[in-house]
Amino acid sequence: MIQKNHGGKNHVDSSIRTQIQLKERIFIFLGIIVLIFIVYIIYLFNLQIVKGLEYKKKARNLTRREIIIPAQRGEIYDRNYDIPLVENVESFAISIIPGDIPDSEKIKIFKRLSRVLKIDVSYIEKKVPAKYYHLYQPIEIESGVSFDIVAYIAEHSEDFPGVSWRSKPKRKYRLSKSMAHILGYTGDITKEELQILYNEGYSPGTIIGKSGIERQYDRILRGKDGKRFKIVDVKERSLRDEKVEEISPVPGRNIVLTVDRRIQELSEKALGPRIGSVIVLKPSTGEILAMASYPRYDPNIFEGEDSEKLYKQLLLDPSSPFLNRAIQSAYPPASTFKVIMTGAFMEEVPNAKERTFTCTGSLQYGDRVFRCWRKNGHGTLNLFQGLAQSCDVYFYNVGLELGVERIVSYARDFGLGSLTGIDLPGEVGGFVPTPEWKEKVHHMKWLGGDTINLSIGQGYITLSPIQMADMVAMVVNEGTIYKPHLLKEIRDPSTGKLIKEYQKEILHRSHIKKGTFIELQKAMRGVVTEGTANVVITTKAVEVAGKTGTSETAMEDRFHSWFAAYAPYKTDNPDERVVVVVMVEAANEWEWWAPKAANIIFQGIFAHQNFEEAVATLKPWYMKSIRSLE
Amino acid sequence: MKKIQLKYFDFFLVVTNIILIFIGILFIYSSNITSVGVVFSKEYLKQILWAISGLGIFFLLSLYPYERLKTISAYLYLLSILLLILTLIIGKEVNGARSWIGFSDIGIQPSEFTKIAVILFLSSYISNTGEKIREIKHFLIALAITGIPAMLILLQPDFGTALVYLPVFLFVAFVGGSRIDHILFILLTIILTGTLVSISAFKDIVVSNTHFLFHFLDDSEVMFYVALSLLLVLLLAIIGYLFLKRKYFYWVIYSAGLFLLSMGATKLALRIMKNYQIMRLIIFLKPEIDPRGSGWNIIQSVTAVGSGGFWGKGFLHGTQSHYRYLPQQSTDFIFSILAEEWGFIGCVLVLTLFSILLIRGLFVAYKTKDTWATLVGSGIIGMIFFHVIINIGMAIGVMPITGIPLFFLSYGGSSLWTGLIGMAIINSMHIHQKITTV
Repeated sequence: MIQKNHGGKNHVDSSIRTQIQLKERIFIFLGIIVLIFIVYIIYLFNLQIVKGLEYKKKARNLTRREIIIPAQRGEIYDRNYDIPLVENVESFAISIIPGDIPDSEKIKIFKRLSRVLKIDVSYIEKKVPAKYYHLYQPIEIESGVSFDIVAYIAEHSEDFPGVSWRSKPKRKYRLSKSMAHILGYTGDITKEELQILYNEGYSPGTIIGKSGIERQYDRILRGKDGKRFKIVDVKERSLRDEKVEEISPVPGRNIVLTVDRRIQELSEKALGPRIGSVIVLKPSTGEILAMASYPRYDPNIFEGEDSEKLYKQLLLDPSSPFLNRAIQSAYPPASTFKVIMTGAFMEEVPNAKERTFTCTGSLQYGDRVFRCWRKNGHGTLNLFQGLAQSCDVYFYNVGLELGVERIVSYARDFGLGSLTGIDLPGEVGGFVPTPEWKEKVHHMKWLGGDTINLSIGQGYITLSPIQMADMVAMVVNEGTIYKPHLLKEIRDPSTGKLIKEYQKEILHRSHIKKGTFIELQKAMRGVVTEGTANVVITTKAVEVAGKTGTSETAMEDRFHSWFAAYAPYKTDNPDERVVVVVMVEAANEWEWWAPKAANIIFQGIFAHQNFEEAVATLKPWYMKSIRSLE
Repeated sequence: MKKIQLKYFDFFLVVTNIILIFIGILFIYSSNITSVGVVFSKEYLKQILWAISGLGIFFLLSLYPYERLKTISAYLYLLSILLLILTLIIGKEVNGARSWIGFSDIGIQPSEFTKIAVILFLSSYISNTGEKIREIKHFLIALAITGIPAMLILLQPDFGTALVYLPVFLFVAFVGGSRIDHILFILLTIILTGTLVSISAFKDIVVSNTHFLFHFLDDSEVMFYVALSLLLVLLLAIIGYLFLKRKYFYWVIYSAGLFLLSMGATKLALRIMKNYQIMRLIIFLKPEIDPRGSGWNIIQSVTAVGSGGFWGKGFLHGTQSHYRYLPQQSTDFIFSILAEEWGFIGCVLVLTLFSILLIRGLFVAYKTKDTWATLVGSGIIGMIFFHVIINIGMAIGVMPITGIPLFFLSYGGSSLWTGLIGMAIINSMHIHQKITTV
């Protein structure tokens, strides 16, 4: 012992006391140590075991980066399945990883890259500001870069440190303008779309169909994006040597449409630059052979650089080029409605065919006078003559005899007032007015005058061209409407194997007697042989049956022009038949164009001619006006 | 006196110590290597050299009769103070603090070794003072013995290292028989100052004065009057105490002094503390405030520890560490990399080893018949204990970041040597105890 007791008794006592106290306090000290260590172990237990998974996930998310490998989008073909209407064109996006470029060389490399990409260097500098210089995340500089440029950069890769590229195929639409309304176009998914579709495998940056078939069948076309997971360190550098998980993308499937490229082109040219639409439908199946709407747009512009500007420009165009008038516009059916009236009359009234009314040019009803389109009157007519001449007075009488309830009921039976369910987004149906509706909405009683107006397809009643086509299809099919559709087949993108074939689907079956339809067909044939369409339907290629319609509009001397027809009139093979509906809006200078266009279309389809050949064969008296269009 | 044999060595102490150092080297190696196995730093080799030389010192010093240290403790203390002053003048600046002294790459941190010198001299003073340590005068002298080197270190400025001196003083003073109210006074002052600094820092940056208390504390005029009235109370109470000798005056003085001192210390702290130090306090309370900046370390460390789970990700397989998300892996956050790679099991192992070391050390200190030796032992154990709880606490997010190393595990020669010298003194107590008793 080194400590010396150099003192008296007191000191020894206190020393002992201190010693004892000292020992006690060491135990307290020991207690503190043990206590804190236990607390720490409990805390660690909570951190590592209770919350361990949560932190594991957090740590994994910190280092894992998911890269989407976009799936190749399916191609779209017409029914001939030979040349794709839409295909993917190889295109690349160029990115810069700023951290991979030495600071001293950044400006030099930006300049070099801008020269190769033919863009302004300030554009790159704006995308990669100095505050990003330390980042190891790729920043996309330009997309839609061609293979040549990428090949050049790849060959001179030592001159382009930190520059990388990835495949970002562009959508290329052939026959671009004609098919725009059917095919639609694609674009980057928007925030709103993503909110709705997130759970269905869509992710930010996905290309999504925005309209038309591209949108309708997006799920078939898009396939399934693949994923690559890379592990990055704190500087976002990917650790190349780490094993990488990868989920390969599943390419989207190809779609074959019911559309016939040849008929589509024919219809488009027959319509010409007139605001309106054409539908060619195969009534035995509901297949759409052609669907044209004017004005059109070019979907390829959305892949270009000024896409946003051009899109806005189109959106503001007062003629609404985005509108697919064949399915998204409704007009009064006008005289075409007389087909339904004729059907109803025959079904409801015995010996209706023999019933005659005399047209003096007008009908007095109450204190109002309702005029026929022919001011001098048609004289005495039977039903078929009435339809052939499209005599308004005849059908005023028919309407008054049937009454509004029965007219409405037949109109609905012919598919008016309900959507056809065509496989395109955004269909808009027409409207069938009823006395209840008028009272509720306009707070006015339904008057006899309203019934008279309705009888000739005027007033509140409207329908879309596709509904019109279905109406004719019902006459052709003798009471059955097949759902109109554009999808024919789904095929495997690599082998071309047929995956799914669209099966025709009955949309509606009428309770009207078969015989009535056969009579109606005769009546419609009469319109072409003896009636209003006689002068215009000059084709010798096929026997056409149909009905014209000219509906009044707010503009004087301007009329919507309808022609709803089918051919051949008589056939043993119903598959051969086509329904053609042409609608030309009143905005065009009125020239009764709808039946003229239909004439060319029928000629082209049945004589297997293209537009120019059909016109050459028909040598129509209205050639002049066609020439002027070319 | 018998010949000292190896069997007299404190087996527990030596073995746990060597295991801890070994684990330390393993994880310094782990922190030196990238995820793909490229060794980018030679720290682990240096640490091996430090460990071998340190263990050499340990064995030599273990054989040295510890009592002799008491006689030279005053000289050691003075030498340390001189070294600290020298460091301030010619020291090398590392991480913003002038704390290094030496040539080129090889250098030491005098502030580390000073801890031992302070423990030795403080223990000498307290054991010599004996019962009188209960008097306030001697308590304050003891406080000054610790405070002078702490102040010199604060001037470097190395806040973390300076902080260690306070608990060392408290542990030694506590075991040395100081009055509990004296010790509590220091403790409460620290706590109160810490709270006031935190609140004032927090309200400036985090909350925009939502509570009336913040307004109150923020208003310097209010605070001035509060301070003034406290001072008045203090003076009156002193007068009262001197003349009337009533016990309750003492408590009034005690409380008023506590508050006044804390307020003064807060003012001072806010003036001298650097922005990043205030930020450390804030992010300790709310790391999400700046997750990519000052909150980064704490968030990454806690994530590393938590993601270790029960068994850990395996040695060299930590992602937080090898992808360099975790900062200062070999020094301040050595425990985080261990917790990530060895999991809960590894943490319990390390904590168990430390508790064996600490409890065994206290046991040796308890066994000595010599007050001075008991105090020295307590001081050393207290120092190591404080390092352990602060460093590990920082890694798991329960202590603010102070940048003090984990003894025996963290990379760094000065810290390792200091720890080993401390343990050698305790081992020496054990050996010489054995020799005298056998």
